[in-house]
Amino acid sequence: MSLEFKKNQVAFKDSISVEDAETLLEWLQKKANAKVDLSACTHLHAANLQVLMAARPNISAWPEDSRFTRWLKSALGQI
Amino acid sequence: MKRILIVDDAATVRMFHRSILENAGFEVDEAINGVEALEKTLQNPFDLYLVDVNMPKLDGYGFLRQLRELPVPQVPAIMISTEAEANDVQLAFTAGANAYLIKPTKPDLLLQQIQLLLGDGSI
Amino acid sequence: MNPLLQQFLTEARDFLQTIGEKLLQLEKAPTDAALIAELFRVVHTLKGNSGLFEFPEMTRVLHAAEDLMDAVRNNKLAYSQELADSLLDAMDFVGMLCDEIEVNGVLGGNYANESTRLSDSLRKLNVAAKVQTEVTAPPPEHISTPEPPRLCLPTESLAQLQLLPEIERMQAYRLGIQGATLHWIVYTPHPECFFQGEDPFFQAQQTPELLWGSVVEREPWPKLAALDAYQCNLDFYMLSAASELSLQEYFRYMAEHTQIQLVSPQWLIVPTGDLNGGPVYDDFVNDALALLQAGDLQRLSRIAETMLELSSPDLWLASALRWLLLILELAPQQVEVLQALLESISTLQPIAWDSLPSWPVANTVVAATPAASPPPEQNAPDADVPDATDAPISATVTKVESSRQLLLETIATQQGILTLPLAESWSIGRMQAAANALGGCLHALGAQEHLPTLERASAQALAAKDTAPLLEFIAQFLLSQSPVAVETATFSSTPSTPSSAPAPRIDEPAPALEHEPEVKFNRRSEDNLLGAKSLKVDQAKIDRLMNLIGEMVVSKNALPYLAGRAESVYQVRELSREIKAQYAVINRIAEEMQDAIMQVRMMPVSFVFQRFPRLVRDISRRLGKEVNLILEGEDTEADKNIIEALGDPLIHIIRNSLDHGFELPEIRRQAGKPAVGTLSIRAIQQSDRVIIEIQDDGKGIDPEVVKRKAYAKGLLDEVALERISDQDAMHLIFAPGFSTADVVSDLSGRGVGMDVVRTAIENVNGVITLDSTPGKGTLLQLSLPLSMAVTNVMLIESNGLVFGVPMDNVVETVRIPRSNIRSIKHAKAAVLRGSIVPLKALNALLCIDVAPVANADDELAVLVVRFGHESVGLLVDNFRETVDIILKPMNGVLSELSVYSGSALMGDGSVLMVLNIKELLQ
Repeated sequence: MSLEFKKNQVAFKDSISVEDAETLLEWLQKKANAKVDLSACTHLHAANLQVLMAARPNISAWPEDSRFTRWLKSALGQI
Repeated sequence: MKRILIVDDAATVRMFHRSILENAGFEVDEAINGVEALEKTLQNPFDLYLVDVNMPKLDGYGFLRQLRELPVPQVPAIMISTEAEANDVQLAFTAGANAYLIKPTKPDLLLQQIQLLLGDGSI
Repeated sequence: MNPLLQQFLTEARDFLQTIGEKLLQLEKAPTDAALIAELFRVVHTLKGNSGLFEFPEMTRVLHAAEDLMDAVRNNKLAYSQELADSLLDAMDFVGMLCDEIEVNGVLGGNYANESTRLSDSLRKLNVAAKVQTEVTAPPPEHISTPEPPRLCLPTESLAQLQLLPEIERMQAYRLGIQGATLHWIVYTPHPECFFQGEDPFFQAQQTPELLWGSVVEREPWPKLAALDAYQCNLDFYMLSAASELSLQEYFRYMAEHTQIQLVSPQWLIVPTGDLNGGPVYDDFVNDALALLQAGDLQRLSRIAETMLELSSPDLWLASALRWLLLILELAPQQVEVLQALLESISTLQPIAWDSLPSWPVANTVVAATPAASPPPEQNAPDADVPDATDAPISATVTKVESSRQLLLETIATQQGILTLPLAESWSIGRMQAAANALGGCLHALGAQEHLPTLERASAQALAAKDTAPLLEFIAQFLLSQSPVAVETATFSSTPSTPSSAPAPRIDEPAPALEHEPEVKFNRRSEDNLLGAKSLKVDQAKIDRLMNLIGEMVVSKNALPYLAGRAESVYQVRELSREIKAQYAVINRIAEEMQDAIMQVRMMPVSFVFQRFPRLVRDISRRLGKEVNLILEGEDTEADKNIIEALGDPLIHIIRNSLDHGFELPEIRRQAGKPAVGTLSIRAIQQSDRVIIEIQDDGKGIDPEVVKRKAYAKGLLDEVALERISDQDAMHLIFAPGFSTADVVSDLSGRGVGMDVVRTAIENVNGVITLDSTPGKGTLLQLSLPLSMAVTNVMLIESNGLVFGVPMDNVVETVRIPRSNIRSIKHAKAAVLRGSIVPLKALNALLCIDVAPVANADDELAVLVVRFGHESVGLLVDNFRETVDIILKPMNGVLSELSVYSGSALMGDGSVLMVLNIKELLQ
């Protein structure tokens, strides 16, 4: 239940586990203009990270933890 | 017991190093300049030298260079100085030092360095 | 007062007086170079001394004075009356501080202002050196380290470091210059790692003391439709300020996917940005280099700042200038670095750091651990004077963290020394000293297995007057020490010696084999912090466990006594039964525990067997014989002590067999045997014993030859010669002083015969038997206990005393009616199962003049024991149970009583004497 899908937006809640990566990938494969809200995300498994890196969706909000955000921004090429 | 020669013109520094080394179980002798250090070496060679740079009569570099020509076992020497410019370090190694420490010496670092140069079991 | 402080004050007064005298002399001879040099030396030494203590006010002034005298010494500044006045003022101040310390033991008053004023006035005189000293003069407690560039292991990570944004690199550089150790980590998780429950992203984020981290795709991403979310395609790059050790520990489970690289702060100096545009650089570079040459760093800073203001911040030049300013701020003494950076600005090429002279200076290692200097207000002399008695303690604290780094730096230093040209007359000595220093490092590291290689390299280098072999050794050694190499070492069975090191050559003396495998094992497990499956345990700790379990085994034996007393003395039969039941449980656990501990000490016989192929090959070749060696059961294990005791006897047996057993190929052919003989050595475990069989198909032992020889040597009399069986005759080869070879050969016949072998085997409670068929071959069988820590003994009573007899010696216990005992001359004997067994009274053997006591049926208790190949009956008063004991050797005076093999503490607290049957009967 950590991924909440709404129309074109997915919100990451708390920690996203390795099992979620498949769901995330399938969803992103269908949505060309997907937006991702990471504001409530505390951690995501590397599998999810690489799905995001490959899909490059728009990030509508970054996590609160600045260190975590720094990692994500460098991974998603948004520094 | 391993024997170490402290070569330094400052009595305070000699005393400081002597107490560190003796506490660690070394036999310690002192020389107040390079000339005396060479004389003591010829009488009875040491296992390691702690050498100050700036000394009257014969300084640390001169002592090391002459030591490296003596027909005695070529044991490691540590040069200790307040001068830390890279150039001095180079001079020390060229003269024949095997390690370089900066004054004031940190006792634990000095002992570690000695342990490495002499091998285990001496401390 | 602390004697060191007292010494300091005494010496300081002498120096102050000298300084005053020299200054006055200098007034008369202001250009006397020798005088100036002497003055500098004294000020310099005094400053060095004061640095040992926490007297910042004093050190600050002396530091300024030293700089001033340094300028005079280098002709940058001429002697003047003003200079002498300032110096004398400063020395008066230092003298006053000494008085204060003498009286109070501390510097109580506030001298900071006065100290600053005096040092400022000294520095004002020192115009030439002014800029530099203002930048470099840190608060005196940091006098220690303007850090010279550090020599680091070669890296391919240099380019990857550019992944870091400039601001991060600058932050890391600052930390590095301040003494932090920086490590670059490349973590490339296995593609399938998600299936092993790993989360590399989490792993990377949690890296200790992470300064910066980044994740990139390993291969370009496929189209999203083709993406496999569960194939890890991520690489992680991280910069950390943690020690190598803690990083290795943290990444130990993914060690083979992780590279940890020490990073020199200067490697972070990589300008980035747009290479085009901006003002003309050349003039700037020329001006800047000139200023650098002149040591005018302040103006250098100013023109760099101006230049930076003129440039767009995105330009490569702007980045380079920011770096220049940062280095000027943090490490202005690194002139080479500044120069390289300026040159790089003119060429627009990255700096080739390899070409810079780099020397590691050990103090940088410890600079990472902030010195716990007490705040000035609690300036108690004993607290702030570095008290040498604390030294060993603090040494052990920091040891774990930095010793490995210090080691690598020390080795790198020797490497640097060895790259120096050998031109000077003392350079051969210098090379030898470096080689000796390397030897010390290897010892300290516990890497003694590398020493022979080092010694060879050193000898070659000396012979050729060329450092190349030593440099080669260092390179190989460092390679074998890198985390990657250590990791590989765990996967292959090859030791971590350099790959190009010559394989042990056959004609080299074999190293002490029984130790070597252990050393390698230790070495590997010690180095391999990454998921070690084996544990290196000190032998002494296992011995302690052995002793403890032994005592437990013995003290559990008290429970049956207790049960007996509960019933017989206190008449509580119920309790007695419960104690017995509980005893059974404890007994079982103790036995299992004992077994488990025994297992720890077990070693395979291959430790001994592995040297035999060489041995057999060498000896047979020398003798002109052809022998095929077959080893079996090398995995059979026995206690370490047993295995170690086995080595020499087995070698002797093999030599004997090759020497006397096997015939020359020609003779074998004539006898219709294959020309190549077969020697087979087998190890088998049989219940609690290990059996070693050595069998050859040689000429066997001719009993007639043995008999004649034994007779000739006086080992047999004529009667015995007639009567002795062939089997018994062959065992005479184990008799002391017997040697079957007519000529003492250089192999086995060194005046020791098979009796030495027998003694050695018997010393570990082993038995040796021999079976030989003339013309067909010989079979020797050694039967050894699996362990020798716990001895099973039978208790016997004699003359009211209880003795123990090792069960290994006991053949049987019988009761013989007194009437069946015959007297032959003075000796007694009885017929048991058809053979005559000589009987000896234990009391008589122990020189106790009391006859053995018979039981109610007038039967005597006879303990039949093995004595060599005979059986002997010991007449005792009574038999008791058998118990497990820990045999302790006899100490002191008692150790001369050879009839006892030792003593043991019994469950009821009494001491049991254990008889040494062999000695008793001789």
